[in-house]
Amino acid sequence: MLSQELGEPVLTVSGLWFSYPDRPNVLKDISLKVMPGERVGLIGPNGAGKTTLFLGLCGVLKPSTGEIVVLGKPVVNGDFRPEVALVFQNPDDQLFCPSVWDDVAFGPQNTGLSKDEVEARVKKALSIVAGSELADRPVHHLSEGEKRIISIAGVLAMRPQLVIYDEPSANLDIRSRRRLIRLLQASKETILVASHDLELVLEVCNRVVLMDKGSIIADGNPREVMGDDRLMEAHGQEKPHSLVPHQIPHRHSK
Amino acid sequence: MHIPDGILPVPVTGAGYAATAVTTWYSIRRIKQKEDPRQDIPKASLLTAAFFVVSWIHIPMPPASVHLVLNGLLGALLGYYAFPAILIGLSFQAVMFGHGGLTTLGVNVMIMGLPAIAAHYIFRLRKFGNKESRRKAGAFGFLSSAVAMTMSVAMFVVILLTNLPADLDVEIERAAIYTLALAHVPLIFIEGTITALLVLFLQRVRPRILDGV
Amino acid sequence: MKLRIDEYSNLDSPFHRWDARHKLIGLMALIFAFSFVRDLRMLLAMVVVTVIIYIISKLPVSFLLRRLRYPSFFLLAVVLTLPFLSGQTIIMSIGSLDLRQEGLLAALLIATRFLSILTIGLVLFSTTPFLTNIKAMRALGLPAIMADMALLAFRYLQEIGQDLQRMQTSMRLRGLRKRRLSIRGLRILAWLSGSILVRSYEQSEWVYKAMILRGYGHAPHPRGEFHTHSRDVIALCVILTIAAGFIGGDILLGHGSAALLQ
Repeated sequence: MLSQELGEPVLTVSGLWFSYPDRPNVLKDISLKVMPGERVGLIGPNGAGKTTLFLGLCGVLKPSTGEIVVLGKPVVNGDFRPEVALVFQNPDDQLFCPSVWDDVAFGPQNTGLSKDEVEARVKKALSIVAGSELADRPVHHLSEGEKRIISIAGVLAMRPQLVIYDEPSANLDIRSRRRLIRLLQASKETILVASHDLELVLEVCNRVVLMDKGSIIADGNPREVMGDDRLMEAHGQEKPHSLVPHQIPHRHSK
Repeated sequence: MHIPDGILPVPVTGAGYAATAVTTWYSIRRIKQKEDPRQDIPKASLLTAAFFVVSWIHIPMPPASVHLVLNGLLGALLGYYAFPAILIGLSFQAVMFGHGGLTTLGVNVMIMGLPAIAAHYIFRLRKFGNKESRRKAGAFGFLSSAVAMTMSVAMFVVILLTNLPADLDVEIERAAIYTLALAHVPLIFIEGTITALLVLFLQRVRPRILDGV
Repeated sequence: MKLRIDEYSNLDSPFHRWDARHKLIGLMALIFAFSFVRDLRMLLAMVVVTVIIYIISKLPVSFLLRRLRYPSFFLLAVVLTLPFLSGQTIIMSIGSLDLRQEGLLAALLIATRFLSILTIGLVLFSTTPFLTNIKAMRALGLPAIMADMALLAFRYLQEIGQDLQRMQTSMRLRGLRKRRLSIRGLRILAWLSGSILVRSYEQSEWVYKAMILRGYGHAPHPRGEFHTHSRDVIALCVILTIAAGFIGGDILLGHGSAALLQ
């Protein structure tokens, strides 16, 4: 495990451009630097390029130009970099093993650990997400919320240092969402969270990046970025409720 | 068109298993020769599951209804993965629903699988010639499916009726073969038509899928 | 649509506790031995053995009956046609139809073998979780590619099945009446099937990304963790002996020649 020197960024993106064969310039000149321990929220309308950026950061997609450096090493398309982990938007895309235990064990098994080490990793990952009692269940018996936390466990079992979450609260009920928020707040890794759930971003993140049409529009303190009405509305967003002065006051009954 | 347990003698079922084993081994060898089979395995696996699910769809054929087979299209889309896919699909069917047999698994896989491979080659022929038309793809879809189904029906009827543990009068045997075969003719047409329509649909929505795994 | 394949795999019986690999070999051998039998006198032994095995497995009878629903049509077809079409010795006449001895005996043979094999097959595959059986086959030498495909196909079967149900519901809610055999009806079926195929195809691309992100292909495929106990081997020997007994007994008794079979 690479130990992170203080002051060294976890992630450096420089001048990233990306095009699909049928869609040019999905990402335009993206530059970004993320320091260890940061919790970066990525907001923006659908089609802004967030998922494409994530796939590039993991080495799944090859950029047209530009460089991505994670933990001091450049990301090469096709390399296996377990230090970076991506939690997909749709947990079903990621939970491809028939049982929970097998799925969480998949990553550790591929890093050549011994049987006991794999077992330990799985137990630890499941306990972090509070999913230990689900270990023997078949995946298709899980609820949406359970699928979400198991997909996170599967990724945490690889002990990543940078975890990227793509729309983690989509389709979750209130209780599961609250569990997710607590989990994200307690995470020790550096995290990037793309979400339309702006309240979640406010609660979890200490930095917000606004993207639209492939470019980074704003980058800074969550309250400042998301509290800027004109900026938010210009890019298909709205100010989150918590930052809006109350029109309908709460009436507490006594 | 699956032969159940209890009818065929052991030499036949044994031969079926042997033939299936050899063909599967050969298919896997060809699969491994591709540069990165890892990419195709999820595709082939999910399509296997999809074809399995699609086979639950009923086609109304008075007085009853029949299930889609689609082994022609499966062959066309999956190429070398078609045989393993059919082996897996039929195993699932036998184990989960008791449909088709355990001893006859090898025979049934050959009945479905060989025509699927033939369909693959027939469908590929649509690339020849200069005209690149939608109708051509649809026509080849019909053709490959009809040929595959005809082969399957022929193999099924012949294997079944020549291996019954009883003496059938030659007359009766011939009559039985004709009757069974004839009963399947409407099915062949329906499968062919649906495959053609499917190919046209896929061409419009996701043409890449037609280029195979 | 519920695939109740593992419905009874968590009961407790000697068969449930038997190592999956040994069970596969033993019971498949027995199944093939049953399919070998042609002598009618062995049929009784077959039925007795089958019943005893089913009782030991503690699987409910209702389960077996449910399983028999679908294949009974085939069985009925055989039982109703063979006795009237096959053979020369006529034992009874019902109206214009002649009941023939050979055909009747053949129908009995087919029916008994079929039912016994189905029952043993049920014990084999319902007393172990489906997933464990695939791993057992892998441990016995099933190629990794086959095991991978089987596991993925099994995993996504439920999802895709639910997709189909949802689409069919939506079609019904938009007024699609009972399907008729027409070009429009067939086109709708084609579009339904096509949608399923396309969605699976597209999902598979995401699954592939998820797999390589977690290192797919980097480590040798695990061969499952099975431990052999002596009782597993003993049980295997017992079943193999029984299977051999059926084969040997059938050959000694003339392998069906006394019963006028082919």
